[in-house]
Amino acid sequence: MLPEYTVKAAYLTKFVPFIEWPDAVFASAAAPVTICIVGEDPFGATLDTAAAVAAGGRKLAVRRIPEANAETGTDCQIVYVSDSQAGYDAVDALRDKPVITVTESTMRARGIINFLTLDNHVRFDIDEAAAEKNGVHISSKLLSLAHSVTRRSDGP
Amino acid sequence: MMQVLKNRDLPIIAALTAALLLLLAGIAMARFEDQLYATQQTRDVAEQAQILAASVTAAVSFGDRQAAQEYVDALKVNPDLRGAGVYDAKGKLVAKFSRGNALPASLDGTHLRAPGAVSRGDALTVTAPVAMAGRSIGAVTLIAITEPAQRRIARYAGLVLLVTMGALVIGVLAFSQAALARRAGQLFEVNSRLQTEMAERQKTEEALRQSHKMEAVGQLSGGIAHDFNNLIMIAKSNLRMLQKKSAQGGSQTGQYVVSADEALDRAAHLTQRILAFSRRQPLTPQPVRLSELVAGMAELIRHSAGEGVKIHTDLKARWWTLCDVNQMENVILNLAINARDAMPEGGSLTIETHDVALKKPPPDVAEFVPGDYVSLVVRDSGEGMSEEVRQRALDPFFTTKPQGKGTGLGLSMTFGYVRQSNGYLVIDSAPGKGTRVTIFMPRHPEDES
Repeated sequence: MLPEYTVKAAYLTKFVPFIEWPDAVFASAAAPVTICIVGEDPFGATLDTAAAVAAGGRKLAVRRIPEANAETGTDCQIVYVSDSQAGYDAVDALRDKPVITVTESTMRARGIINFLTLDNHVRFDIDEAAAEKNGVHISSKLLSLAHSVTRRSDGP
Repeated sequence: MMQVLKNRDLPIIAALTAALLLLLAGIAMARFEDQLYATQQTRDVAEQAQILAASVTAAVSFGDRQAAQEYVDALKVNPDLRGAGVYDAKGKLVAKFSRGNALPASLDGTHLRAPGAVSRGDALTVTAPVAMAGRSIGAVTLIAITEPAQRRIARYAGLVLLVTMGALVIGVLAFSQAALARRAGQLFEVNSRLQTEMAERQKTEEALRQSHKMEAVGQLSGGIAHDFNNLIMIAKSNLRMLQKKSAQGGSQTGQYVVSADEALDRAAHLTQRILAFSRRQPLTPQPVRLSELVAGMAELIRHSAGEGVKIHTDLKARWWTLCDVNQMENVILNLAINARDAMPEGGSLTIETHDVALKKPPPDVAEFVPGDYVSLVVRDSGEGMSEEVRQRALDPFFTTKPQGKGTGLGLSMTFGYVRQSNGYLVIDSAPGKGTRVTIFMPRHPEDES
């Protein structure tokens, strides 16, 4: 496993406290925030470890699923897709859902959060406009760390 | 001890106490302000630390040094901050800026868990944990300069100066107030002493006047006793003659009764003169024409002047004057007798009256009121007086007549009466040139003739 995926695994869990989903996406107040991996899993146990120690109100759950459509995908709050057709389909299917899709800059598909590597550092772009459109609020603190942000049109 | 303090010391003590209280209040206020400032600053810095801690949560969470540094650099605009640092969950320094004050390279667990503030010297170090969802993921540290003691002192110097000046002013006022009170007390003492002395002096003067009067009565007794004796002798010898003639069965006894009667009248007049001298005789002024009065007294004047004196009258006055008839008669008789005494070898006596409008004061008259007057002039061709005698002629008991012949009261009584009637008396005389006495009596205000 590449070291950058350790960082990305940690990032996936660390995004959670800075993202607000609509209450409706959770089955109950105690329901965990679910991170789903569609297709090939590059993280392995690292993600489970990071999820276990992650700080935040809700607990984190990690699920690995072969594919995600508009119905099954909405059980997840964060969906990391692998570089595959199933992954691209998932991104398309969840485009209008309150789900944070995460992609890599090397992929053809673009999720709401897009990892990229710059000067050997893992960075990320955020499509705030798309997230807001789906009722997901991303904290400005997180936005301030992003490499680039696609701002929502009605905002500052 | 309090009894030793005098009343006038109380204001000073009160003022000094007030000044001291003012000073203490000023110091207390300065200290309070100082503490308030320190508390306020600690709170301000703590707030900034919390704002920084809240801002850098994401940066700390993701270990983004660059983002954390941007937040830290933003604090440089505050000149009071000497340094700022952001630490991660392990207490390691992630981002910092420093203006000479060394930031700790790492923090221990306590700082990561709870906020804290340490003031050391002129630096205030405040730490605040970076928390995310109730868990600490790091900490921030701010170092702020507290105002140096000298600058604080300088800040309060103005206040202290004002308070000191206020205290000084109060002190000076109280001191001068006390001095004034002391001065007033002294003045009061001096004044009461002066009043006592004045009262004593008044008593002394009264006693002196009394003794003068007694002396006068003593001097008077010679002349009056002589006059009285003569009058009593006349009355007595006439009564004896009357007794003798009655025993012989003589019928012409009327002249003795008349003579005795006259002598007793004169004795009564003498008493009246003494009363006039004492000025206790009430005056009953009435409108009188001096010309008519003199004309009516012609016989009396002739008797008074004696046989060797020729009498001329020139009575031109027509205005009325207001005076007591008896007194005025007495005055005229007195002047006539004085004229006779001045002419033992005989001579002429002239009595004139005139209406005069006086515009300037007659000689030797001090308090003069211009206006219409009726003048009465009695002039003799006698021996006259020296200037020295003339000047003393109006003094009571001054006389040039031998002892027993005069009392020295005639002219002074006349003068007293004339002054009482708001008139003037002028003596004009020189040795060998005779004497002229002029009396000016004010014209009766209701005179319309």
